[in-house]
Parts: sequence; structure tokens; C-alpha cells
Amino acid sequence: MSNRLKSYEDMNLQDLDVMKEISSIGTSHAATALSKLLQKEIRISIPEVNILGYEETVDKIGQIEELVAATLVRMSNEVNGLMLFIFKMDLANAVLGKLIGRHYESFEDMDEMDYSALEEIGNIIICSYVNAFTQLVGVQIDLSVPSSTVNMLGGILTVPIAEYGYETDKLMYINAEFIMEGEKLSDGLLMLPDIESLNSILEKLGVS
Amino acid sequence: MVDKELKVGIGDMKFTRGDSRIITYALGSCIGITFYDPFLKLGALLHIMLPSRSDLNDPKVFKYADSGIHETIRKLTAFGMMKNRTIVKIAGGAKMFEMKGSSDFGNIGQRNAAMVKKILMEEKLRIVAEDTGGAYARTMLLDVSNGDVIIRTVGKPEKHL
Repeated sequence: MSNRLKSYEDMNLQDLDVMKEISSIGTSHAATALSKLLQKEIRISIPEVNILGYEETVDKIGQIEELVAATLVRMSNEVNGLMLFIFKMDLANAVLGKLIGRHYESFEDMDEMDYSALEEIGNIIICSYVNAFTQLVGVQIDLSVPSSTVNMLGGILTVPIAEYGYETDKLMYINAEFIMEGEKLSDGLLMLPDIESLNSILEKLGVS
Repeated sequence: MVDKELKVGIGDMKFTRGDSRIITYALGSCIGITFYDPFLKLGALLHIMLPSRSDLNDPKVFKYADSGIHETIRKLTAFGMMKNRTIVKIAGGAKMFEMKGSSDFGNIGQRNAAMVKKILMEEKLRIVAEDTGGAYARTMLLDVSNGDVIIRTVGKPEKHL
């Protein structure tokens, strides 16, 4: 078992390229799933893979006290870690608008049904991403049932940063643009394998 | 008039005297700890992320409850803080996600709160007020001119601790 990397920030350009490649396939699967669900054509830009500290991640996604919805799924088996999908208001509205014909000014105006729709969509995006990933890497990954919340972006991001706080101070943030009917929508996917799993993923893909 | 506002990031601490405010945003599972000596109008806000510093070579002392509290006390004492008149308040330690079927996940907030209380007790500092637990993030602000602590959360009025 390789343990070349001690932390996310040890990843070199080649490692990041591999992650970008995986992410590109993962996000395009996620976009297809979303597109089927909403019956709309969705295009997706090539994702960027960013290894960032907590505050940089917050700044890249939005404002620290900004209300966002987030779905969290835990990975276990051959890859352990967390997948976190963040909806900002624009994406939430685009999705809820198509799905149940609702539009809101703020997450605070939503009800339980809207929240559960967002949780389900977050889960679909994460699952299709991870499925693509498992096929590509050839690993078994079990996913937990999703958990979600609507709260301050900064508070939500303390969850992964604390979970791996003894290993790293960085997060792996994958951002791609979803383009639906000409509108660019921001999405935020955080893929956080633990360091042991990250090493084994890169090793399986022949980078070591 | 408040003339300055200091911002404390995750795993950091700031302290100051006089007419200013110290703020930390969106405490999730992390804990914000305010120290205030009313006689000196000396205040500090510490934002810890994890319970204990297991690697003693880790230079990020304020990231952990144990080393963070010890270092804050050391610094404030150098500026004349007396423990017996210091007012301590804590906030945060939330469980942001409820994971079905894995009750141990996300308990870091609770473990942080327990460790903070243990260390403060060992240091003979009394917690005068606290707002911990729950499933939501908190922004914490210490007004160093009067020791007032304000907690901001989503969908609720501001709370004074």
C-alpha cells in the first residue's frame, strides 16, 4: 500500500490531472442524471479541481454566512470519505422550478418538501458521480443514506474540515459550471476521500 | 463608537483592549470561546476546531481546545488578566448533519464542547454563559468595550450571552 501522500496539499500536478480526469467523467455523469430528471438539456464545463484551505473554499463558493443547502453522503468500503454537494440559491431555484414549479428569494422561505427534493437531487448527483468513479477506478464504494441541511456555508464546511482535521487542513473542491437553458449555474461538489483512500486511488490509476 | 473589528479565522485567536469588537463567523462544530477581564477591558476570542493537540510539534496551537485555551490564557495573563475576574462564554459545537445509522459521525461538536469545559475547569475559569449544540451555525461577537457577547444564527433574533 502506497502512502506517498500525507495530505491533500502533497498532490502534484500529475495527481491533480488524474483527479481532474476522474472529476470530468464524474460530473458529466451527474449532469446526465440531472438532465434526465429535469427533462432539460444540461451542459457542463470541464471541472476545476482545487485543493484549498477552509477560508479559501468558503470564498470560492460564496460568503461565509450565506445560506446554502447541502447534501452529505459518506463513502465506505474500499474508499472512505465524504461527498458534499452544495446548492446555492441559483441552482436550487433552477432545479425546484423545473421539478415542482416553485421559485424562492431565500432558502428560509422553503418548506420541508423543497428541502427533501434538494436532498434527493444532491444525492442523485453524488451517486452518479461516485458510480462513474467506481467504474473508472475499479473499486467498491458503499454510500450512506444522504443527510442534508440548510445553513451558513461556513458552518457546513466546518464538517469536512473537522472530520479530517487531524490529517489535513485542506479540502478538495471540484467546481464545474452547469449550463441549463443558457444560464450558468454554480455547483459545488466536495470530494473528500481520506488520505489512505486517496493514495490507493492514485495508485490504482497508475500514478505513484 | 466602535472603531475597529477584529476577525478571527478558524483555528485562530485574537485579543485586544478598549473600544473594539472581535468576531468569528459561522461556527459549526467548532467552538468560540470569549475571555473578558472587565477591569482591564481586555478581551479575547478563540476559535477552536478539534479537541486536543495530539502532535506536540504541530505549530497550530489555536486549532485545538487544549493548546488553544492554554496559549490564550498565557497571552492574556502577560497582559494582566486575572483569572478570578475573567468572564468566559462559549458558543458552537453544533452537529450540522444528522447521519442515519452512524451515530458517531459528526459528534465532533459535542467532543469539542466537552474538552473545552474540561480544560476551562482545570484552569479554574468559570463559564458564565454558553450556547452550544443544536444543528446550526453561529456567528459570535465580543464587544470589548463592555464584555457583551452576541450570537447570530439563521432565522432567529440575535442573542446576548
